[in-house]
Amino acid sequence: MKLLTCPMNGTRPLSEFVFGGEYRQAPDQDTCTDAQWAAFVHNRSGAPGDKKEWWYHSPSGTWFIAERNTLTDKVTSTYLLGQKDTTQEAGK
Amino acid sequence: MQQFDVKSIIQTSPVAHAQPRDSAKWEVINSMDTAVQFASAAIEDARKKVLGVADVSCLARYGVKGPNATQWLLERGIAIPTTPNSWTMCEQKTLVLRLGSSEFLIEDQLGGSACSRLASDTNRVASVYKVPRADAAFIVSGSEALNLLSELCSLDLREKSLAAKDLIMTQVAGISATVIRQTLNGEPVYRIWCDGTYGPYMWEVLIEIATELGGGAVGLVQYQSS
Amino acid sequence: MIFRTPKQVGEWVNRTKKINFTFEGEEFSAFEGDTISSALWAAGQKVLGRSFKYHRARGVLSLANHDVNVLVTDGIDTNIRADVVEVKQGMVLTAVNTSGGVKKDKNSYIDSISPLLPVGFYYKAFHTPRRLFPFWESVIRKAAGLGIVNFDYPRILKRKTHSHCDVLVVGAGPTGLTAACTAAEAGLEVTIVDENRQLGGSLGYNRAGDSSVVTELDSLMSKVASLPNIKVMTGAYAAGYYPDHLIPIVSEAGINKVRAKSVIVASGAFEQPPVFRYNDLPGVMLGSAAQRLLYRYAVKPFNNGIVVTANDYGYRVALDLFQAGTKIVALVDMRPTGSTAYAAALAKRGVKVYTGHCVYEAIASSDKSGVRGAIICAYDEKQSIALTDTKFTLECDGIAMSAGWAPAGALLYQAGTGMQFDYGVEQFVPSRLPNGMFAAGKVNGIFELEQRLRDGVRAANDVIRHLGGQAPQNDVEKHVGISPSHAYPMVPHPKGKNFVDFDEDIQIKDFVNAAKEGFDNIELMKRFTTVGMGPSQGKHSNMNAIRILARIRGLPVEKIGTTTSRPFFHPTPIGHLGGRGFHSHRLTSLHDWHQANGAVFTDIGAWKRAAYYPAAGQSKEDAIQTEALAVRKTAGIIDGSSFGKIEIHGPDAALFLERFFTGVYTDQKVGSCRYVMLLDETGVVVDDGIASRLADDLFYLSIGTSNAAAVYREMQRSQQMWQLNIGLVNVTGAFGAINIAGPAAREILSTLTDLDLSYESFPMSSVRESHVAGVETRMIRVAFVADNGYELHAPMGQIPHLWNALIEAGKKHALRPFGSDTQRLLRLEMGHAMPGVDTDGLTNPFEIGADWAIKMDKPYFIGQRSLTILAKRPLRKQLVPFVLAENYKGEMPMDCNLVVDGRDILGRVTSISYSKYLDRCIGFAYVTPARKEVGSVFQIRADSGALVAATVVKSPFIKTLKGA
Repeated sequence: MKLLTCPMNGTRPLSEFVFGGEYRQAPDQDTCTDAQWAAFVHNRSGAPGDKKEWWYHSPSGTWFIAERNTLTDKVTSTYLLGQKDTTQEAGK
Repeated sequence: MQQFDVKSIIQTSPVAHAQPRDSAKWEVINSMDTAVQFASAAIEDARKKVLGVADVSCLARYGVKGPNATQWLLERGIAIPTTPNSWTMCEQKTLVLRLGSSEFLIEDQLGGSACSRLASDTNRVASVYKVPRADAAFIVSGSEALNLLSELCSLDLREKSLAAKDLIMTQVAGISATVIRQTLNGEPVYRIWCDGTYGPYMWEVLIEIATELGGGAVGLVQYQSS
Repeated sequence: MIFRTPKQVGEWVNRTKKINFTFEGEEFSAFEGDTISSALWAAGQKVLGRSFKYHRARGVLSLANHDVNVLVTDGIDTNIRADVVEVKQGMVLTAVNTSGGVKKDKNSYIDSISPLLPVGFYYKAFHTPRRLFPFWESVIRKAAGLGIVNFDYPRILKRKTHSHCDVLVVGAGPTGLTAACTAAEAGLEVTIVDENRQLGGSLGYNRAGDSSVVTELDSLMSKVASLPNIKVMTGAYAAGYYPDHLIPIVSEAGINKVRAKSVIVASGAFEQPPVFRYNDLPGVMLGSAAQRLLYRYAVKPFNNGIVVTANDYGYRVALDLFQAGTKIVALVDMRPTGSTAYAAALAKRGVKVYTGHCVYEAIASSDKSGVRGAIICAYDEKQSIALTDTKFTLECDGIAMSAGWAPAGALLYQAGTGMQFDYGVEQFVPSRLPNGMFAAGKVNGIFELEQRLRDGVRAANDVIRHLGGQAPQNDVEKHVGISPSHAYPMVPHPKGKNFVDFDEDIQIKDFVNAAKEGFDNIELMKRFTTVGMGPSQGKHSNMNAIRILARIRGLPVEKIGTTTSRPFFHPTPIGHLGGRGFHSHRLTSLHDWHQANGAVFTDIGAWKRAAYYPAAGQSKEDAIQTEALAVRKTAGIIDGSSFGKIEIHGPDAALFLERFFTGVYTDQKVGSCRYVMLLDETGVVVDDGIASRLADDLFYLSIGTSNAAAVYREMQRSQQMWQLNIGLVNVTGAFGAINIAGPAAREILSTLTDLDLSYESFPMSSVRESHVAGVETRMIRVAFVADNGYELHAPMGQIPHLWNALIEAGKKHALRPFGSDTQRLLRLEMGHAMPGVDTDGLTNPFEIGADWAIKMDKPYFIGQRSLTILAKRPLRKQLVPFVLAENYKGEMPMDCNLVVDGRDILGRVTSISYSKYLDRCIGFAYVTPARKEVGSVFQIRADSGALVAATVVKSPFIKTLKGA
């Protein structure tokens, strides 16, 4: 089973986590067009590459961001939202 | 209207459903009906050397969280573990568990009074939020304790990996739980807390494996200092 | 005849302990430590099993866990691998897959008609007419197969445990042992695993007649024993590779999942057979099998043998056999030059060596139970053909065969190792190893003992550096000299029966046929011929299959590639895989009460909830109607402790709710309750509940049972993004809840609290904090199941006291408990649609008529922007309350039955139930907007296809139908 590093609780097996989908910036809902909004809520890019993802560490209730390459399945860093500067390299 | 005395309300251990009503000896501790003895002292002693599992849900607890929780506790004389996910002990052997960075679980050992003192302070303070607790709590010890835990938890809980003051929030038997290592009366033990509604399930699992490995249920008095 | 030799140095059998068992009805004795095969072989029993397809007699092939033609049954256990499983006192063994016993298997006629059965024959012959295929399939399955599964097999669950180490060494041969010692001496925590019962690997039996190598093994073993940071696991196999170095190790006791920081694969190599006619007869075995028999179990493989080889290893085998007293009739070397290293040693012992020759055909004894000789021909290595005009016959009672090796690389493949074909050793070797994975020894194409020992040290040093330590860096050494494997050890024969895959009786011509049919890609060929798909999973056959296919297609071997290797590496019992079943569940503090009062429980999320309380002999339906009537006529009480309960503290609490839910909460008065509805960003309804304002800066939220954890999780995520000044406290488990409802509810409650319960001071949709039966309680007036309802929320531990007080107080009002199934009916009567029951993953609030709950003029809430788009569009469906005809007695439609108009689907039923109180069948259904008006009639198609008319009515049903 894969390991994932929670920025608060350390490295744990994947079974302790819930996947929360890709982290994406919503368009400004007051100024965007209907089509832009629909594209945001309904479309996902399946192209493999570096993605920011939401993950949730269940036992502690911690949401965080993991940067993962969906082609290699390598996680390069995990951090609390907005705290990338204090991030630790995953798995070390 | 009918009158009730709040103090006379006896609760039952959240684990009780899974414990033998008839063969165990029951006592009310901290207003909680608790199975305190499961077999003769000699048998419990023998079990405990190999693998003893005790229900300590009846110990008094107090939970608090929020950005000002640390300050609030310090003002009330509670020692604060210095780093997130660690624990410490203050007067009367009261345990202070730091869950993450800004949530705390205080647990009095028998005879302790910190929790009732904290609970009597009902003023709501900005950025300090009381967390009502209804934990099922367990002590696991003995020569086969790690063997048992290796079936329930995928983490390395050996001394070399789980440091003396470390606290981990992980999954035990598939449910969320908090685990520490502690030395009680010179004996190394594991302490486990989980949501009380999972208590009977957790007890069943612990006892099933403990029995297979040559241990079993023991009363919490087994872990009180003489 | 007895084949047991005098004591061998390092033998695994304990001669002081005798064991008795039976095989196919005959009595045998063995020594403790014998495998089933070695014990039988020692007693001269050579037909140990029958082959899968042609029912040919088979004996020892590898003695290394892939003699899958020798599977036996012992009582309830079947498919026991006789070559490696230790024989036990009292075993009663029979061979699998025979008709009338292993010696005179009636199905052996299939062998004589095998020319009529080319690969693909069964499929092509029987797949039309299709209706007869099941008949033929059953005939074929009876004739071909393995052990018969015992359906009364007891449920034997084994433990699944976890362990951790710095380095896991897979394989305890000389390479692995050396690596383990080197790593352990550097202070690393080492686990070493080997499927054999004892350490040592080939160091224990590959002796070339000189048993002094055993001292080398002894010193390695004592070194391992002296290092406390080496954990040794023997009789256990590394079954697969999972990400981040998780390796399940399977043993008799169960599965130990080892999480290693690094892995050294020193798993060695499988010996590969040369392919010639009748290479499968009992008595024809791999050279290493002969050595294992001899040195592990002190059993002579045969008395008068031929060694056929295509590498130098066969010479070592010949020396071992010679030392044990076997007469070597000849050594037949398929290579024109022979061995420079060992030729002299054999010559000295008077062994006749035929270089540039092959075994063209083994000759079966008259009863086909063994070998009586071999036809030898000169071999044209370039063309890979036997020159039959040179043929001559040699008599013998056994043949040892060596042709080369295939790396035991399953774990390496599974971990994603890049492999390339090395022509210097004629084998695949790792070319690109994943992070933290290391290979050592024969898997690297290194066969000389000294080189392997150095490679073990080299790999351990790589691990030490990988884990941050200091150690020398050396490259993997290259094999020097003649290749340990032959490039193409095949001897074609016009009559075939030259087996490549012993599991499935696959011959060279089967590959040729498969290629002719167009299955000339390795993955396709595997599936058409089934090569490598038997229980040994290609351990002795895949490499030869690849070589043959390469030859057929005229391509180099590396262009053919290998088939995919998947976990598990070896068949593992279901009881091991299942392990102890962990079925976590949550109980409320009233569980014992429910049980004592005859509740039937149902699983809702993780919770066990009381569904209803049937009286003796009462049906489920009756019980539910009786409980519902009590709520309508007197009072009912339900344990709602599983409801989700969340506190939102802080100055921004109302603002948080306004962003999270669809309603408005900033102007909500303290002491009042409001409906909350959660959408997702696409505007789909997720859940609903009640927010009670306990203070300016404190809301108490109660939501449904099944979504509670997910809603709390989403609240945490939203807070993480919004960073408002709030605190979320999940009190789902800490608080219990009781709902008491019905005309008498208020009166019952009034005896237990001094709170003013008058409708004026405690109106609908309000919340009060007070004492009930002495317990501090949050009381919420809700109309979920009845107009007169009170939800009482209190600490979980005090709920039983509260409940008992209510039950006691309710006795004179005919108060009775009701369960969650009854609650479903009651809320339906009340006309409440339930998210997740009456909505699905596409339902928006407009479709369930919840427009009133949506406050679009707020700056933001989750789903708001999507609703602005949805609001512009015409509705596609609408949830409507409906009734069936009065006194309807026909087939009862079910949830999910379709609403139809001729052939068109208009919608579906989401909830339907008979209500005894209303004496009517009532429900919710989706219909097209054209049919949503009160009085519209639509058709429901019941399970049988019958059409049932339904009429749209106004909700709540109790008002519409009873005027209540």
